[in-house]
Amino acid sequence: MTFLPAAGVVMILVGVGSYYATRSLHGMSAFSGANVAIGLVLLVLGAIAQARRFRGFSGSESRRVVVRWIAILLGVFAGVVGLDVWAHAVTARIDLTVDRQYTLSDESIELCHELEKKGGPPVELVFFEDALLAKDVRLLVDAYGDSCPGVQIRDASRREPPQAARDLYTTTATTVIACRHDVCDPVGYPSERNITNAVARFTRERAIRVYFTVGHGEIDLASESDTGYSGVAAMLRDQGFDPQAFVGPAASEVPADADLVVVAAPERDLMPEELAVLDRYLARGGRMLVLAEAGQRSNFYSQFLPRWGFALDDAVVLDRASSPLLQDPKPVNLLVHRYAPYNPVTRNLGPRTMTLLPRARPTELGRNPSAGAKLDRAAFASPRSWVSHDVAAALAGRDVAPPDSSDPHEISLVATGRYPRAGSEEDSSQEARIVVIGDREFVSNRLLEALYNRDLFLNAVRWLGNDEQRIALSDKGWTPNQDPLTLQQTVAYFYFLAFALPEALLLLGIFAWWRQRA
Amino acid sequence: MMLRMRALCRKELRQLFASPIAYVVLTVYVALTGIYFFQHLVSYNQLLFVYQSEGMTGGGFDQGTVPTRINVLNEVFVPSADDFGLFLLVVLPLVTMRVFAEERANGTDELLLTSGLRPWEVAFAKHAVTYAFVALLLLGSAIYPAVVVLRASLGMEHLAALLLGQLFYGCAIASLGLACSSFTSSQIVAAVLGYAIPFVLLDFAWLSNTVSEGVAAVLREAALLSHYGSFARGVIELRNVVYFEGVALLGWLLSVASLELSRAR
Repeated sequence: MTFLPAAGVVMILVGVGSYYATRSLHGMSAFSGANVAIGLVLLVLGAIAQARRFRGFSGSESRRVVVRWIAILLGVFAGVVGLDVWAHAVTARIDLTVDRQYTLSDESIELCHELEKKGGPPVELVFFEDALLAKDVRLLVDAYGDSCPGVQIRDASRREPPQAARDLYTTTATTVIACRHDVCDPVGYPSERNITNAVARFTRERAIRVYFTVGHGEIDLASESDTGYSGVAAMLRDQGFDPQAFVGPAASEVPADADLVVVAAPERDLMPEELAVLDRYLARGGRMLVLAEAGQRSNFYSQFLPRWGFALDDAVVLDRASSPLLQDPKPVNLLVHRYAPYNPVTRNLGPRTMTLLPRARPTELGRNPSAGAKLDRAAFASPRSWVSHDVAAALAGRDVAPPDSSDPHEISLVATGRYPRAGSEEDSSQEARIVVIGDREFVSNRLLEALYNRDLFLNAVRWLGNDEQRIALSDKGWTPNQDPLTLQQTVAYFYFLAFALPEALLLLGIFAWWRQRA
Repeated sequence: MMLRMRALCRKELRQLFASPIAYVVLTVYVALTGIYFFQHLVSYNQLLFVYQSEGMTGGGFDQGTVPTRINVLNEVFVPSADDFGLFLLVVLPLVTMRVFAEERANGTDELLLTSGLRPWEVAFAKHAVTYAFVALLLLGSAIYPAVVVLRASLGMEHLAALLLGQLFYGCAIASLGLACSSFTSSQIVAAVLGYAIPFVLLDFAWLSNTVSEGVAAVLREAALLSHYGSFARGVIELRNVVYFEGVALLGWLLSVASLELSRAR
């Protein structure tokens, strides 16, 4: 081998090798690029020099062989490329994972057919190849592209994603965003359940209409201040909901197209007529989300909610281990990590998916309003927390000492109620539902994106909006044995496989070499 | 013809296992895979310990809440499979470099080609024996993963998918190495080319920023790594099988062409 091609190969290897070694820091560096480029030039020059000195092709037989084989190789290459293109088109695959992890469930397929039947533009799953989980998720996303007629995959690195998806993209934690037209929905952890849920919103006939009561000092949907709800309004629109204001004093009934009503911390009393309107709405199977606030004394808390089985004491929940996420940590800032596992409102939330509820009011259950009603507590403050009735002092940040002795008990912060309608007890879509969350600030503009606040709120509105079947799509059933080998077993196998077996093979090699020499 | 092929394969096998290089390669590969699998297992055990001790120390979390996402498949099996693929790239050229080049250097290739054997038969036997050696390498390295698969209820089908993928991938690399070996009488040249070509073909991500989107897509399709990953995750895709078999076929045809050329000169 002459110097030129050898040097070329070395330079290409160093160039590509240095790229692999440093690609996590930056892309192709000047060093790597220059090595590859110069290496290629040297290789070509070397090949030309070699070809000029190459002997043996002067005969017609040699030329005939060369030409024939070039033709054969090109033909076979073309055939292989053709086969490859065909294999891409048919997308045949065998999923040998124990839980068929990369094969879509019947529920997802059914949803895809529903989507196809409805027609319209396809739903695009924008896939970000640079994401941390991209390698693990690629096959699952491909499964949607292969098995879902109404879904297309858009690789963000190859085709620029829509502006709405770019707006939603935050970090490499964003793996998949579902889009249709300019409306996009980010998929949290990219499991089949979450991707299907994201696709599902595009199958709905119309947006879920959410009415926010106004006129009693409730939080303003349009307010862009830290405590305002403009972020909630934008998020709801992004998620396929239609938030509207409901002016209680001016209405004789809740609008017929209301899918749910949100009462966000009324500071003042509601008129008896307004309370009656809300009672009638619930009695005919209405849905209501209540966001409470410590320190408020509206008759909504003292009269209306007890009628439906909730007891919201005029108190505040405190916990000394308050959130360091806020600049001014006070005991009123609760980190919540204890949830009822089977409640639809707290589904997907667990010990590692905390929510931050500042100024929360205890949300306990009262007297059950009817025999068929089902009331549950869904989220709890930590065992170190306590309830203080000195609300003004606690909210002002003054030190409010915990009671000297108290029985350990769970303080509820979220509660739910289901009230089946007479004659249709079995049909849960007809029942009235109420979710009471003991805090209104957790979805304010300041805290909406904090921890899992957004998820708690969305779970609640989805359940109330009859969208819970999408939340309920279960993950695959395989539960891995997470601890297959103890450290002792691991080490024992290591000795056998990394030392004993190689040692035996090496001894065999020495024996073979000795026999050959003999 | 079958008799001739069988005799040829037997000769190749004898030649392969008469030299210590096959044993050295087996030793290195089994040791490397054992060590790396062990390292992944130890890291995984430490990760489990962190999760479990967090619960025990009362850091605000309940006990026994290791997320199901943290499991042997994601933390040990898949990263190990990626490592094993790179190790195959490291050891296989050491085996393939001598297969044709040694015959050419000793002049025994002329004997073979004038003994009534056709070039494709010679190339076929050499390729088949090398592929069998690749299979042997994989079996040696599969013991540790097999134990973990059984204990973690991962399913033997998943292990079969991984081994099949490694076999396809290994055969493709070996085939390229054999093609390089068939064009030269120098084992060093054969080894350097046997490393360089698969190494460059491994992944074209380094070029993707400098070429157009269409070219980048073609390069991605031509890269070895983009076809290997799904096997480790337990999925056998037709397109990946076609790709690896296509590379192996082209490597074999190049070897045949080289032998035909030698005979014609």
